Amino acid sequence: MAKVKVAIYWCSSCGGCDEAIVDMGTRILALRELVDFVFWPCAMDPKYSDVEAMQDGGIDLCLINGAIRTSEQETMARLLRRKSKLLVALGSCACSGGIPALANLKSLPGILERCYLKNPTVVNPEGTLPQLESHTADGYPMELPALYETVLQLDDVIEVDYYLPGCSPSGDMIATALMSILEGKLPPKGSVLLPDIALCASCRRNATKPVQLTIKEFKRLIHVQADPDQCFLNQGILCMGPATRDGCGAPCIEGNMPCTGCMGPVGGKDQGVRMLSAVGGILEGVSEEEVSTALDGIADPAGTFYRYSMSSSLLGSRREGNQAPKEGAP
Amino acid sequence: MSVFEPDIVAFVCNWCSYGGADSAGGLKLAYPANVRLVRVMCSGRIDPEHVATAFREGADGVMVMGCHPGDCHYRNGNHKALRRFRLFERMLVQMGIEAERFALEWVAAGEGKKFQEVTTAMTERVRLLGPLAIHGNVSPKEVTHG
Amino acid sequence: MSEGTTLFLCRCGTNVADFVDLEAVKAWADTDGRLDRVCIHDFLCAPAGKAFVEETLKETGSRRAVMAACSPKLHQKTFEECAGAAGLNPAQVSMANIREQCAWVTPDKREATAKAKRLVKAALERSRLHRDLAPQRMECNTDFVVIGGGIAGIEAALQAAEAGRKVTIFEKDISLGGEMIKVEELAPSAECSPCLLAPRLSEVRENANITVVTGAKVTDVIGFFGNFTVTARKKARYVTDDCIGCEACFEPCPVEVPSDFHLGLGNRKAIRNLFPGSVPAAAAIDPQACLRLNGQECTACVDNCPFAALDFEQKDEIVEVRCGAVIVAIGAEVHVPADLPRLGLDGTSNVFTYAEFERLTCSNGPTQASLLKRDGTAPERIAVLHCAGSLCPDGLDYCSGVCCTNAFMVGETVRKQLPEAVVTNIHDRLNLPGMETEAFLRKQLEEGTRRIECRTLDKVRVEPQPGGEIRIGIPGQDDLTVDMVVLSTGFVAGARARELSVLLDVEQDSRGFLKSDHPILNKTGSVIDGVSLAGSCLQPSHGSQSITMAQAAVGRALSRLVPGRTIELETMVSRIDPARCSACRMCAATCPYKAIGVDPANGRSLVNEAVCRGCGTCAATCPSGAITAVHFTDEQLIAEVKGVLHERV
Repeated sequence: MAKVKVAIYWCSSCGGCDEAIVDMGTRILALRELVDFVFWPCAMDPKYSDVEAMQDGGIDLCLINGAIRTSEQETMARLLRRKSKLLVALGSCACSGGIPALANLKSLPGILERCYLKNPTVVNPEGTLPQLESHTADGYPMELPALYETVLQLDDVIEVDYYLPGCSPSGDMIATALMSILEGKLPPKGSVLLPDIALCASCRRNATKPVQLTIKEFKRLIHVQADPDQCFLNQGILCMGPATRDGCGAPCIEGNMPCTGCMGPVGGKDQGVRMLSAVGGILEGVSEEEVSTALDGIADPAGTFYRYSMSSSLLGSRREGNQAPKEGAP
Repeated sequence: MSVFEPDIVAFVCNWCSYGGADSAGGLKLAYPANVRLVRVMCSGRIDPEHVATAFREGADGVMVMGCHPGDCHYRNGNHKALRRFRLFERMLVQMGIEAERFALEWVAAGEGKKFQEVTTAMTERVRLLGPLAIHGNVSPKEVTHG
Repeated sequence: MSEGTTLFLCRCGTNVADFVDLEAVKAWADTDGRLDRVCIHDFLCAPAGKAFVEETLKETGSRRAVMAACSPKLHQKTFEECAGAAGLNPAQVSMANIREQCAWVTPDKREATAKAKRLVKAALERSRLHRDLAPQRMECNTDFVVIGGGIAGIEAALQAAEAGRKVTIFEKDISLGGEMIKVEELAPSAECSPCLLAPRLSEVRENANITVVTGAKVTDVIGFFGNFTVTARKKARYVTDDCIGCEACFEPCPVEVPSDFHLGLGNRKAIRNLFPGSVPAAAAIDPQACLRLNGQECTACVDNCPFAALDFEQKDEIVEVRCGAVIVAIGAEVHVPADLPRLGLDGTSNVFTYAEFERLTCSNGPTQASLLKRDGTAPERIAVLHCAGSLCPDGLDYCSGVCCTNAFMVGETVRKQLPEAVVTNIHDRLNLPGMETEAFLRKQLEEGTRRIECRTLDKVRVEPQPGGEIRIGIPGQDDLTVDMVVLSTGFVAGARARELSVLLDVEQDSRGFLKSDHPILNKTGSVIDGVSLAGSCLQPSHGSQSITMAQAAVGRALSRLVPGRTIELETMVSRIDPARCSACRMCAATCPYKAIGVDPANGRSLVNEAVCRGCGTCAATCPSGAITAVHFTDEQLIAEVKGVLHERV
């Protein structure tokens, strides 16, 4: 039987998803019997021209991790889409922007300024910024991919067949998903390859929650020692479990750390505003003052509630001024 | 040059603020046609996701109106709204959306005058801010810099 | 029936027609390919208009109707009825408010017409997502539980029992009676309280529909109107049902302790009843005072009981009762300003609270109604100090509303047994409500009651002197010297008000009394449907007020809880999808009615649709979107939002 042709690519990512694939350990050897890795920059030394030379649809399965922020990444995403039969968005960054998408809280000019101009460890007296086109001293032309204004998720630029979120999804999760795909056990196109239910459904601490759960004040992990057997929310520690997809096995919870939401939204909802609504709803404060004091305990609402899903936020991203051309605009 | 006419969506609770709007009507207290109402039973029904969606669908400003604290027809649905939206306001600012584009107001069924005042003030505030455009998830623009 | 919509535009005479170009709206609507018909009418709510609606809908066979007209608060029901006559489900009838919220508030006709189109568009888009709603009905339990066995509780029980319902009274003391049993004469009519109360108590005892549970403390109330379960802990009496209350065991009991019923002014035995004529009549042993129950040898009561009715092994019992309505009648408590030295209430001098004065002049009191000083002699000069411990910085900050009338009763009560005694009332402004009190006051003054007006009662000093006299220092006036002082004190919320408010989920007001659902429209209701409040637990009340409130509370419940009749539930409830619910429990605490519990079958959160009032707060909370707010779903609301925003008119 012909081996399944698999391509793996990375965009704005940390390399963790590629590591997770390797984390399958010896199972990758079993996979090797079924699969031919035709393109995997992290582990091989392919060229883009190799991909261009492939037949359209010639790649059976393509896994892309990382968010989209450069023109190179978009170009490759589009190229790989053309060349692949099935395409999976692997990891939180590809699925919903991930950590890189937190950059959407800043504007691009601000980012460039911070990185290249106003930075305590950078010496750049001429104020040089990266250029799209330039050349070496002896005239050799050089190009850089364009940096986009906002960090996008993969399905903003191409059609994605399946999603496997997580930061990163564990080797186990990837192995299981790959095996289902290889066995042809596929849910409808556009699905996430994990149950559509929130983490609390399988969290072993859920039983310790009172039915009438309320929060008097928020406690941060730097200030308290979390009780390893009690639901975090019941201790006033923000846990994104209620608004985050299940399926990871809750390793963070086992490590006495609250869920931070890396498995992304559940139920087709906007993860950030839904969790915000849920948390706000169960505060005990009544007066404006009490509410304000309690809310001071959440130092960074956007970063907390959208830590891994800023690209899919209904509220979009920050920008310099927010005037857009509209009928009758001054 | 035409004047910018903002689109304002106001989510109003059936018992108090919708009644306040009707009161304004009965008293013929005019307010800008920019403000259009969406009725719910209780301000507690409104989720920041509805407000975010309204912004996304083209609203330049969004209002949520309910009963005065202590007077909620459903005991304390408006308290939930208060807590949710005070947190939401903090997040809006972080996302670069001006806090003035969102307003949480308490309007009783008999407060036609107040309804007129808050809707007029909101329209003028948002008019000064200009149109809102949500960025992200749109075709990416290349940026030239240097 | 088609899947389409018929749109009705109402001119409302000139009310809408003058401000909105309805022809333009119709022309615009006619371009929407999904409408069965668009009609304009002069007055949709008039008989001709309603007939027009019904006929038109029968012709078009539309599933839905949208009326662009006035406020739904005025005519939603009207249109549901006439559309209903054409076979439409009420949920398929919607309104766009183009009158109060458009025509009447938008002077520019062009703007008003544009806005009207947007509102109509929003209503059309929303209504396309409407689903039929079927009303739900539920059988109900028509019995009553009354918490509190004072005058209000007794009255409530008798009224409910007369209607044929089963009633259980839970009373915390060992007998019914409450505060009114401690009074001899009721102000201002001087009606004999025992004469009024004793027959009522007999009726309760003899009524087969009423069960009295004394020594009872309610520990749990679950459920909802038509379906409550009330649990109480009943303290052991240590006598069996054979005890008929012959009182033969009282005299021989060697233990004597101060009596709470007599406010410490007299004693009682360890085995006793509360007062002659108690209901139940049976004796009860105080386990703290009894020698045998504290491990010592004593058989005094056993030896003297003709019925062998003693049972020292008796245990506390848990009593559980199902009912449809709960009446709370726990009363109020007398405020005792013992912490105010300026009032001289030291427990040894002849300064008494009004409640103590009532004990000393009541036939079931420690002195069989003889008003005596602590040394056993009769007083000659009595002062009554109004607002003692009230309306002062160091006491209650409110007026209790019932005390002034009682305070002027002192004169009449005293003069009945001591015609020569001089009674002086020291007061500021008087709170004498009702039509009879003015005549009552004049009568007291004519018959000899003196009065001293003082504008600074909080500076009055009551100073018992050695030798028995009491000097009262009144600012700006001469001292008054008397040999007995009656402090007219106010009332505070019952000791169990806080606990019960938590158990029942009713609210307390700023003074701790239980809060009415509405001070004008529903005084005896609470915020919880099915839980009513009667008597002094709401605010200090005279007997007649307490009785009236009890009758009102029971009346309201009787009219809704009719045997054989089912009660209609809210249709626009919230529903939780068990497949999507992760049991994260973020919803339950947001429900103002505690309508969300746990489904024992699968551990998921579950809405009790009989309690749900349809506010939708839970639906806004659920982070997985597992909760649907019927008729106000996210999809419906967003369709409406898009309608008002997208229509470029």
